[in-house]
Amino acid sequence: MSLLQPDPQAPSVWRDNLPVTSRYTYGLAGERFFRILKDEGKIIGSICAACGATYVPARAFCERCMAELTEWTDVGLVGELHTFTVLFVDMEGRPLDEPELVGFVRFGDGGILHKLDADPDDLQIGMKMEAVLKPKAERIGAITDILGFRPVT
Amino acid sequence: MRKVAVIGAGMTKFVRRALETPKELAWEAAKMALESCELTMKDIDAVCFGTAPDAFDGVHMNGEYVSDGAGAWRKPFMRAFVGGGTGVFSSIQGWYHVASGMFDVVLVVAEEKMSSFYPHAQAAFLTIFDNFTERPLKPNLLWIFALEMNRYMTTYGLKKEDIARVAVQHKRNAADHPCAMLGEPNITVEDVLNSEVLAWPVQRLDVSPISDGAVAIVMAAEHVAKRLTDKPVWIEGVGWNLDTAYWTNRDLVYPRYVEYAARMAYEMAGIKEPRKEIHIAEPYDPFDYKVLHHLEGLQLADRGKAIELYLDGTAARDGNLPVCPSGGLLGVGNPIAAAGLMKIAELFWQLRGEAGARQVPGNPRRGVAQAWGDLMQIGTVVVMGR
Repeated sequence: MSLLQPDPQAPSVWRDNLPVTSRYTYGLAGERFFRILKDEGKIIGSICAACGATYVPARAFCERCMAELTEWTDVGLVGELHTFTVLFVDMEGRPLDEPELVGFVRFGDGGILHKLDADPDDLQIGMKMEAVLKPKAERIGAITDILGFRPVT
Repeated sequence: MRKVAVIGAGMTKFVRRALETPKELAWEAAKMALESCELTMKDIDAVCFGTAPDAFDGVHMNGEYVSDGAGAWRKPFMRAFVGGGTGVFSSIQGWYHVASGMFDVVLVVAEEKMSSFYPHAQAAFLTIFDNFTERPLKPNLLWIFALEMNRYMTTYGLKKEDIARVAVQHKRNAADHPCAMLGEPNITVEDVLNSEVLAWPVQRLDVSPISDGAVAIVMAAEHVAKRLTDKPVWIEGVGWNLDTAYWTNRDLVYPRYVEYAARMAYEMAGIKEPRKEIHIAEPYDPFDYKVLHHLEGLQLADRGKAIELYLDGTAARDGNLPVCPSGGLLGVGNPIAAAGLMKIAELFWQLRGEAGARQVPGNPRRGVAQAWGDLMQIGTVVVMGR
């Protein structure tokens, strides 16, 4: 039974919504991270030497010691596949026409959650994955400037 | 700090879509809890109320909106708001209201009505993700759990058919719970493995359902509790701990924050060997693999070995360490905040010997309840004993 199947026994309802629209700023670190992704096609992290942590995507401060992070580093476009899933339903529980692949690719102590372009049978946790970027002219400074990750061939 | 006891509890049925409004659900549970210890609102000094995201009820400041159902009219009132950790945390909040000496008797209510969110409650969680790095991909919670489950299974070489035993046992346990929505006395591992794949490796029956419901307890200071009941159940230890706000920076295999919360609670309770000193565990079980995570964080199993408690019968209701004898979220249902407080109520009933068909044999003396929430990063732990 689909989650969305109407239930004839259900109580009657009044429909309304909770409208909220926001304008989110990218922030001190985000502004720079996404600008570099857009202009230079690089993934940038920030380093806290005292805590031995590399934050990817880059952050403005270290969550462990609260120091300002001023040391930035290019972590490259290749990370490690930390885990992945194959999606069969959408957010509302409807079956997808084609299963979709989503993975978490580790960079430094963080990483990037994104779509994967691969055959699911070829995926193995721990393998190297490469970011596929949009052409520079089409990049707008968003995580979707990365189209996804594919196995390094 | 003063000693604090739970002296009463009440719980609505957990259902797929309740006719009752959130206020009415809260009221039903609160009324049952008061009646269970023969108190009235005149005896209640303060009210603690827990509900998870405002989005479910579709009302901003939902805690205050629902507050009359929790009995907050002209009382000191506070809302606990730590996502899935809320139910267990609301009892911690009730505990420090009383332990501090501020109040003698506190009513703690947790309510959730997830069915109002249309068309599916999952979508309410879209807005918990980072605006820049995650939301453009339109992620949902199932992704996150599927990713975590895959990493956990792969790290320890666990099999799907073994993990499915968790769902089977909890749903079978729930068949004995009068408030349960998914009790299934005859469910099998095959049923779980044949259920719809949502996001591999997560299947329909690996997951707890969207539910509506409410639970309430009454907490009292020692001098009041001893006057009102022969069977107070004491809060012996409490703990809570928060991991990084970034999902991408967490250990997906081991919940360190649950360990820290558990160690805090065990130390307060004077527990040195939890595997010997805890007689019942009610870890948070929205997904079957998550129980295993939590048992390991609670120090009740070695890392990667929690599944053995299910395979060798230790976790069964008549085993050496019964896990979720209530039926848990997987079996009774998962109205988020209410489901957490259900675990506290279950320990209350079990330790008093009042759990009916669910009763764990052998006069259990001590139990631990745990929930998990916020942005999948908080552990909330309570040890109760008699």
